[in-house]
Amino acid sequence: MKEIVNNSEALIEFLKKMIIDTLKLEDITVEEIGDDTPLFREGLGLDSLDALELVVAIEKNFNVIIEDENVGKKAFESINALAQFIQEEYGE
Amino acid sequence: MQWVETEETVRFNEVDQWGMVWYGHYMAWFEVGRMSLLRRFDLLPRQMVELGYIAPVITLKCDFKHPAACGDLIIIKTTAVKPEIAALTFKFEISLKEQGTLLARGETTQVLLTTDNKMIYRLSGELEKRINNLLNYCQK
Repeated sequence: MKEIVNNSEALIEFLKKMIIDTLKLEDITVEEIGDDTPLFREGLGLDSLDALELVVAIEKNFNVIIEDENVGKKAFESINALAQFIQEEYGE
Repeated sequence: MQWVETEETVRFNEVDQWGMVWYGHYMAWFEVGRMSLLRRFDLLPRQMVELGYIAPVITLKCDFKHPAACGDLIIIKTTAVKPEIAALTFKFEISLKEQGTLLARGETTQVLLTTDNKMIYRLSGELEKRINNLLNYCQK
């Protein structure tokens, strides 16, 4: 996993797939998710319950903890933001 | 799985034009069952607020199996299941006390917010302790 985290491109690809798999987004493909698309509301349209599921998936895959909505707001801004957050927190 | 049982009597004002319990009242009975369970673990709504949390219901399911009538004695069985996410899920079964006939089976899920409306993604501290006590009891 360390190799993926250190490679932004691979991490972004991994995160897009993780979101689709975790939330069972059958209508969306990896290619359709922009790196800067907001994950919530007007972007991918995810809601707060989706956030709870993503938090569990992120903890399982990266052992990175997102405590609450305050932290989540920044981390879930977009795929890019989430990748950056994981890179900052990974292995600490 | 451990269930907590609460007894109620169907009131006159709970039945509809057809003499059957109006469907919405089952949700009120779920609430009665949930309170009986939460009381044992110091997780009543006011106690949650004292800890700095509220827990709004975000999902509600109910399957209706059999009608109940005014005067029927019913048993509300409630348990909690451990969800993978930071949320609380309760299951309910309501049946006639004497015949044991299942009337309805339901489930609710609540998320946890701080009292200033920020959702929490992970349990911690005293809240985690009390919720774990509740879940351990129900999983016995």
